[in-house]
Amino acid sequence: MTHPVQLYCWHFMAYPHLPADFDEKYDTGWVTVPNRLWDGGKSRGLYQQYIDQLAYADELGFDGMVLNEHHQNIYGLMPSPNLIAAALSQKTKRGKIVILGSLLPLHLTPLRIAEEYAMLDNMSDGRLIAGFAPGSGPETFNYDVVSATSREQFWEAVDLIARAWTQDGPFEHDGRHYPLRYVNPWPRPTQRPHPPIWIPGSRSRETLVEIARRGYGYFLSSRSHGKETARSQQQFAKILEEQGDHYQPFRMGILMSAYVGETDAQAQAEAKDGVWYKNCLKGHLRREGRQLTFGPGIPYIPPEEFRNYLKFSDPTTPLLGDAETWDDLKESASIIVGNADTVYTRIMEILEHAKVGHLLIQFHLGNMPDALARNSMRRFATEVAPRLRADSTRLFGREFPDIERQLAPEMAK
Amino acid sequence: MNILNVRGRRVAVLEAGGGPALVYLHGFADVHGVAGDFQSFHRRLAQTARVIAPAHPGCADSDELDRCGIDDVVFHYLEVLDALGLTRFDLAGHCVGGWIAAELAVRHPEKVARLALIGACGLFVSGTRISDVFMHAQPDRGTDLTTLRTLLFADAKTPAALRFFPDGRGDIEEEMRRYQMLRFGSFVGFKPPYFYNRALRERLHRARMPALVIAGEHDHMVPRAHGDAYAAGLPGARELKIVADAGHAAPLEQPEATAALLAAFLRDGGNNSEPLQSASVVDRSAR
Repeated sequence: MTHPVQLYCWHFMAYPHLPADFDEKYDTGWVTVPNRLWDGGKSRGLYQQYIDQLAYADELGFDGMVLNEHHQNIYGLMPSPNLIAAALSQKTKRGKIVILGSLLPLHLTPLRIAEEYAMLDNMSDGRLIAGFAPGSGPETFNYDVVSATSREQFWEAVDLIARAWTQDGPFEHDGRHYPLRYVNPWPRPTQRPHPPIWIPGSRSRETLVEIARRGYGYFLSSRSHGKETARSQQQFAKILEEQGDHYQPFRMGILMSAYVGETDAQAQAEAKDGVWYKNCLKGHLRREGRQLTFGPGIPYIPPEEFRNYLKFSDPTTPLLGDAETWDDLKESASIIVGNADTVYTRIMEILEHAKVGHLLIQFHLGNMPDALARNSMRRFATEVAPRLRADSTRLFGREFPDIERQLAPEMAK
Repeated sequence: MNILNVRGRRVAVLEAGGGPALVYLHGFADVHGVAGDFQSFHRRLAQTARVIAPAHPGCADSDELDRCGIDDVVFHYLEVLDALGLTRFDLAGHCVGGWIAAELAVRHPEKVARLALIGACGLFVSGTRISDVFMHAQPDRGTDLTTLRTLLFADAKTPAALRFFPDGRGDIEEEMRRYQMLRFGSFVGFKPPYFYNRALRERLHRARMPALVIAGEHDHMVPRAHGDAYAAGLPGARELKIVADAGHAAPLEQPEATAALLAAFLRDGGNNSEPLQSASVVDRSAR
């Protein structure tokens, strides 16, 4: 049994038809970006194109397809990732369907997600990876979620879902946020005891402890992969040790974007429009305009954590969305553009220091045309993935001599 | 700063002056909300009253409440008042503090001798929304707080605005107080958006004590209609008093004028008020 890195195709489903003067006229792509900019005519067939790209990833042999949830923005047109997952469950046969994740505090009760995920697990014959997330700033404003209580609400929801999947119903849940008299969801998931659960987090110790305690997978929701990524992996490994558990690569995943071209120069030329398109980079955190992801107006972190943030951060440091040149991007290792050798080498560097087993890679960037996205995916699958699988197997075997034994119970399931 | 132990919770309380007890509940641009100590407005009040200013749960050195909706905060303050041994007192509140003061007064009119509200939120007034302090608390380009200053003050360049809400990384203790105040504000006032209790307006008739309602001339956070609604709904209030050349943070921007209005009310308002409306008139607003 070998354990290569798992390679997934992540699609954000960006809105690709923004007007040329968008940057001058609008200070944000989130929450208040006017929806009259939606061009219904140009957007016909858009979801079909994006769904077909994900199905193509399945044909190419990616280990899975990744979806996530965003609202009222130009960056990700998936207010309901479960709808796309339902379509994929019928169009694909092999890869995992990763929803990373449903934003639990936005739902009236988390039971709805327990039910829909169980349906998806059945519809896909056990291919669902169940991601949950609390949502951040934009959702606070979009859905009137009280940020200060959202984490507490989130963990109650996660625990209720896991219990609803594993404990026979009907049972009563006397929680603070979701008191329910009869918890008894039909259907139950195909995977037993339940689909793998992944939780995204930044570097909050509190979140990592909660994930470790429950034995779930940790997905680092940062797009930059310098030394910080290795530090996050070490931090998570240490917390697992404190819990009497052990880190192995398949406890953790990271996100990056890639474009694979024939040559480095050609790759840059082809990816240029998509990478520098407003909602690819500018949809990210940036200093320009008002940041709606984190800060005093979205006070979800406890005061002592905010004090650390004030002490150790500089409010003038550029963020990923402020990148202006290819060199800026190279430094942050968030969008890797080049020929197959370049992309392989740079991803392998990240794997060597980060030691993570799940790589979630975005191929469609901004307004990238369908044909270019598919070319890049095909080159990755045929020229990059085989080398990454072989070398990561050796890397993990060397770094984690116990990996066979650690993964054995998981395989037995 | 005194730390009061209220059923195991820490409550930070500032106190100054002597005379009749005046409980002061703070707002955003205020003592505890950003300033670590009383400002000239509060010190002016302390010349004629014993000013007692507790920090809201989670603000300054007060502990957060385990459960922190507006009702929980009202019961918290009933316990604070018990701990202070205050059974009857004058009550003033600014901004969110004004909302809490009004909620206290409609529930326990017997405790509140006289009520003063300055730029108070808390009411739902159709078509005039309380502005989004949360979104504007997010600096533009990470450092620029112009819109937050504009919301809280008559003008973004008001000296008090620049003093307490400077661009860039400010004094860490002041930034922390602001963060804690926004966190408290989000517990009580984020949902529904923002800072109101629809039921409060039809309960105002119960607070029959003499009342003073004040608004800054250029309040960009709480629209004038809210002050008018308080003045119309509180049986003991006359018309809304306007502080000229001030925004929402009238106590910081025009400390003398704002304190003078309050002092005059506290001097004359209780003993020498105009006759209250008769019960039958008040009943009109009851269902």
